[in-house]
Amino acid sequence: MPSARTCSPCLGNTKRETYYNNFSVQTSTELITFLGRLHPLIVHFPLSLLWVVFLLEVISWRQSSHQFKPAIHLMLWVVSISALLAVAFGLILSNQDDYTGSTVVWHQWSGIATLVLTALALLAFKADETKSYRALLLLSVFGVTFAGHYGAMLTHGDDYLSSAWNSEIAKDSTSVVPKIDIKKLQGDINVDQKEALAIEARSILTKHCTNCHGTKKVKGKLRLDELKYVLKGGENGDALIIGHPEKSDIIHRIKLPASHDDAMPTKGKRLTKAEIEVLETWIKQGAPWPNSPNTTRPLALPEEKEKDLAVANDLPTGPVPAAFQEGENALASPAVQLLNTNQVDELNIKVRTILAHNCYSCHNATKTKGKLRLDKKELLFKGGESGPILVAGYPEKSDIIHRVKLPEGHDDAMPTKGKRLTKEDIALLEFWIKQGAPWPTGPEKSLYRVATLEPRLPNLPSANAQAQKPIDLFVDQYFKKNKIAWKKPVDDATYIRRVYLDVQGLLPNPQAIQSFISDKRANKRELLVQSLLSDNSAYAQHWFSFWNDALRNDYSGTGYITGGRFGISKWLYGSLKNNKSYDQFVKELINPNKESEGFIKGIKWRGTINSSQSTEMQAAQNVAQVFLGLNLKCASCHDSFISDWKLDDAYAFANVFADQTLEIHKCDLPTGRMAGRGVLYNSLGKIKETPITADRLVQLADILVQKKNGRLYRTLVNRVWAQLMGRGIVEPVDVMDNEPWSQDLLDYLAYDFANNGSDMKRLMFQILTSKTYQLPTVGFKEVSMLTASNYVFKGMTKRRLTAEQFADAVSQSFFPLYSDSALAVKMLPADIKKDIPFARAALVKNDPFLTALGRPNRETVSTSRTSQANLLQALELTNGVKFNYTLNTGAKIWVAKYSSSDALVNALYRQALGRNPSSREMELAIRYLGKKPSIEGVQDFVWAITLLPEFQLII
Amino acid sequence: MATLAAMGMNSPMASLLAGSNNPIAQRAASADTVILLWMAGGMAHTETFDPKRYTPYEKGMEGNRVLSTFKSVPTKLDGIHFSEGLEGIGGVMDKGTLIRSYVAADLGHILHTRHQYNWHTCYEPPQTVAAPHMGAWIAKELGPKNPVIPAFIDIGQRFTVGEGEELKAFHSAGFLGNEFGPFFIPDPSQGLDSVRPPVGMNMKRFEGRNKLYNDLISKSPFGDFGSDYQKESLRRSMEQAYILLNSPESKAFNLSSEPKESYDIYNTGRFGLGCLLARRLTEQGARFISVTTEYEPFFGFDTHENGHTRMVGMKKQIDGPVSQLIKDLDKTGHLDRTLVIVASEFSRDMMVEGRPDQTVKEQVNQPEILNDMKFYGMHRHFTDGCSILMFGGGIKRGHVYGKTADERPCKTIENPVKIAGIHQTMYHALGIKADTQYEIEKRPFYTTPDGKGQVVKDVLIEA
Repeated sequence: MPSARTCSPCLGNTKRETYYNNFSVQTSTELITFLGRLHPLIVHFPLSLLWVVFLLEVISWRQSSHQFKPAIHLMLWVVSISALLAVAFGLILSNQDDYTGSTVVWHQWSGIATLVLTALALLAFKADETKSYRALLLLSVFGVTFAGHYGAMLTHGDDYLSSAWNSEIAKDSTSVVPKIDIKKLQGDINVDQKEALAIEARSILTKHCTNCHGTKKVKGKLRLDELKYVLKGGENGDALIIGHPEKSDIIHRIKLPASHDDAMPTKGKRLTKAEIEVLETWIKQGAPWPNSPNTTRPLALPEEKEKDLAVANDLPTGPVPAAFQEGENALASPAVQLLNTNQVDELNIKVRTILAHNCYSCHNATKTKGKLRLDKKELLFKGGESGPILVAGYPEKSDIIHRVKLPEGHDDAMPTKGKRLTKEDIALLEFWIKQGAPWPTGPEKSLYRVATLEPRLPNLPSANAQAQKPIDLFVDQYFKKNKIAWKKPVDDATYIRRVYLDVQGLLPNPQAIQSFISDKRANKRELLVQSLLSDNSAYAQHWFSFWNDALRNDYSGTGYITGGRFGISKWLYGSLKNNKSYDQFVKELINPNKESEGFIKGIKWRGTINSSQSTEMQAAQNVAQVFLGLNLKCASCHDSFISDWKLDDAYAFANVFADQTLEIHKCDLPTGRMAGRGVLYNSLGKIKETPITADRLVQLADILVQKKNGRLYRTLVNRVWAQLMGRGIVEPVDVMDNEPWSQDLLDYLAYDFANNGSDMKRLMFQILTSKTYQLPTVGFKEVSMLTASNYVFKGMTKRRLTAEQFADAVSQSFFPLYSDSALAVKMLPADIKKDIPFARAALVKNDPFLTALGRPNRETVSTSRTSQANLLQALELTNGVKFNYTLNTGAKIWVAKYSSSDALVNALYRQALGRNPSSREMELAIRYLGKKPSIEGVQDFVWAITLLPEFQLII
Repeated sequence: MATLAAMGMNSPMASLLAGSNNPIAQRAASADTVILLWMAGGMAHTETFDPKRYTPYEKGMEGNRVLSTFKSVPTKLDGIHFSEGLEGIGGVMDKGTLIRSYVAADLGHILHTRHQYNWHTCYEPPQTVAAPHMGAWIAKELGPKNPVIPAFIDIGQRFTVGEGEELKAFHSAGFLGNEFGPFFIPDPSQGLDSVRPPVGMNMKRFEGRNKLYNDLISKSPFGDFGSDYQKESLRRSMEQAYILLNSPESKAFNLSSEPKESYDIYNTGRFGLGCLLARRLTEQGARFISVTTEYEPFFGFDTHENGHTRMVGMKKQIDGPVSQLIKDLDKTGHLDRTLVIVASEFSRDMMVEGRPDQTVKEQVNQPEILNDMKFYGMHRHFTDGCSILMFGGGIKRGHVYGKTADERPCKTIENPVKIAGIHQTMYHALGIKADTQYEIEKRPFYTTPDGKGQVVKDVLIEA
């Protein structure tokens, strides 16, 4: 018999009864109100008397006596009448006060059932139907107990009994709620402190307020069980003013003397001084809310109970995104689907990703349109100037859903800028809100993939018939996983053209092709690559362009005119020619000498410039981009919303390069805060404080090139791979946090590179002699397919000759496009003319011809070139002065050299395409040129040959 | 041969010709074409479209007394005067709007190319990503109007001049890609050379060469290697260049076919002929054309001495061609759909450099007392009050907007307009949405910084 649990609903109501008795009854409305409020008094009669009747009946039954019969008769009458009154008054009361939820429904119907049962019991008693009477009496006792229990829950709260009953849980729950020190929570507090404060505040509200201001009762139309309702206020207006406890009604009322009409709570204990202080601090700190809807008392609400609650909340149904359809905790309930912790995490990240991509740019710390921020949990739930943006559980009532669904162009439609949300995105947001907008506890997980910093040496897969060398072994493993078969390596002619262009940027001459093809040695490809790499000058002249783009070094450009820019060409040329180890190369750029300082000095424009473009910030951005494959550009203006990088990180890094400590500027406005110093990744080490910039740069250089900085070496090997294979293992090559198509291959190459003297030529040799490099090329119909998420590596991507490769190929196979006078001699090593076969395009100033073919203006770092042709380029090739002059001049020389078209065409095909013309091709040529070539004819013929895809592409 | 426009639209080249994936304006446009007439080097508002009290030169005069070095002359608009020498443009002011309250950006140290960069891209240099010229944005969003006329044509600027590199920095499509970059015609009288077969090649040979190219491709064993975007885009582009160079529209580039009397009105030099070329190309369906008086340090409007004398010449250069261009376009009805803008990177003053109350490094040396005629003129850079003219394409006729002070500093005192407002007004007229943007390095890059800048609705017929 659960007697202990049905006790004393009266205790809490004694005070109220007296209080109500003071009312003077003036009108019938007030009479009804008065009667309604008699319900809690009346209910005690049926409850206690039924138990007494039951007790007497048991005694009568045991003793087989009838001595209590008259008393029982009387009492049954009293029970029935008082039950009738209790039900009547109860119905009145429930219509007056704002009772909602299932508890009141249970209470009401069990009360009515009890009334019916007692009346029947009385009838049976009078008819002497003893068996029926006893059965009905028993049921009545159960009914009244049941009704009483629900009535008590309405008055005292769900866990009123259980918390007293289970002392262990009660103790635990208090110990889980942090005993926070309010004094420490003033001023700036961190996330953890905020969370602790939020939990404490919510516990207090739950303990004292939510019985009357919660899901079941909404007195004064105020709910205090969820932040959005707290902020919404009740019929008397705002319950609290964020940041201002002294102006907040809730604080005012809980501080009033108990006797005051407006004092709160009206029931139960008053709040302690400490509790009031917590709430005051909580309001002052912006009324943070705990990270999860269920963290108020984690131990008091075991999983079973959460389920009940979720069901009881009766959340609407709807389509469930596939990812969340199956889960360990999946309930058969049609109402909601419960998610496990991992699913909540995943859902939350997806939601935040949608918000980050579509909303953060206008609703963040920097720009806070409509006073709404979506980048922080508590601010998101707080809403903006138009109020809360969502109603947990009710997507259809949530403003955010309403707005993203509005047609574009509608005044309230969101986002106002950029793309609209996709249907899938909207469905996900709806699902999330339907789920009660869960937000995991603890530190927020990053929305962005962050690559591992440390180096890693993966286990080498075992050699087999298909693959023996490390690169091939990893690719073989990848191929097996992706069910790709190895294709036959390319033929000698294709291979030699590839490696010449990749190592030296030149075409192989016909003799070289012939002797390579007829070479019978098994290792002739390795020998060829070795000999090409050993031509230091040719190697340097080709790779010069790649590094000029990356280090945005040029012979002309903005800044030079006012001494605001310094070239590094001499240093760079020498470094490549000597195959300087990469760690040394990087060190000399970061901690530069006079010859290499141009890179970190940046480009200085005269006048006032945006603070995110100070030369120190340029250094930070460029070092991060080029050497670490990391975008600091957003974070140099404000906390990034495309990565986790913060404004302070970018400034701390820029400050390493600064002679005078930088003041942090947010969106070009001074913040009054000075930058710290740091190297982006704390685990790499710290810069010892010194006022001398050069000393800091020594340290920075050493810190960045450490072998444990795996990112530096991964970035480099990926860049070289992309140059040689047409696409990086990670793409884009400047976003090294993106997922590689083979982590093992990337890690292996980087580890091997760092541990073998960071020798760039050695790395190239490995790639160029791999079976992987020798696979046939893969063509893509659209350039976007290269960066698509479903990219699968099957071999080298088809490439087009760069501006320099094309110019040099024309120079080599026909007639020089540039004369020695075009060389930027002043910027280049003194003996450059002795070092070159002809005026190579990498060594001349940029011009309209090279620009049209894709040589970038090197104002900013550029690490890849487009190989897509366009109209302006075609026009330059069709009637551009430079190209036509070269074709015309060269034609005169060729005509003088070759008297027959036959010989000329053969020579041209061999020089330019590395093969003899087919008979059909020869036929076409002769038809155009005639037997004896003319200058015009040759000019046109060469033009056509150089524009053939066969000439333009690397296959 | 079928008409070229039709060919373009029906061939697989259409996408390339259109140049953009979203060629359809997203709101009703009042203009299809923009002609920017660029007064390079800083044109003083007080010596052109916003004259103040005239003080003739006397030896020993106080520089501070001089607000304008020219008399004022009436225009077609009641009560509105221009500086002497601009009677022609004054005569067409009933066809356009005069903005007297442009305020140039405050970039500290006054440097022409930085302000020009800012004017043409709406961004202040340097930038972490290469900012596109307004012409490139228009090319990207709207594509060519006539498929065989490049969407972005730049007439008159050479890059061999001082600060050429700084000029190149903004004469670019930036991150939008070369495809949307300017088609340069440095010398309008040589315009035809840009769109005809190479010098010395007749049409028959040009066609023969193209046929040879196509034949060689079809006979090449290379054709077996499958398709890829590099090869396809190369073939498409070459085909397109061939069509353009072979098109009847290319005749528009040939100024010698212009009737002599008309040619003579325009022929005040390269700028005047540039205006003529712009008119001819507009008639054939150009999208965006910039014609510049050409920036070269210390030349043109960049008057560091002899300001008055030099202005006489500059006015002669612009007055006839600009007014004739407006008249011609109006006569043929093209003005209704063509927005013509006359502007400069900033203004000038005799005494004030930059903003009033602000000293600027390296300002022009200008004596307080003028003992030499060469000091009589507007030699210092002034950013706080500049004039812009707009005609056609939905711009009000015979309207004046904004006002500058009548005493030094002659700065804007009513309705200031900044560069983002000018850009947004132009984009609005073209039907390009104010928040047009592309994602570059994962962040949005808007036509104007953060999509800001209010359309100057008061200058539009239908805002």
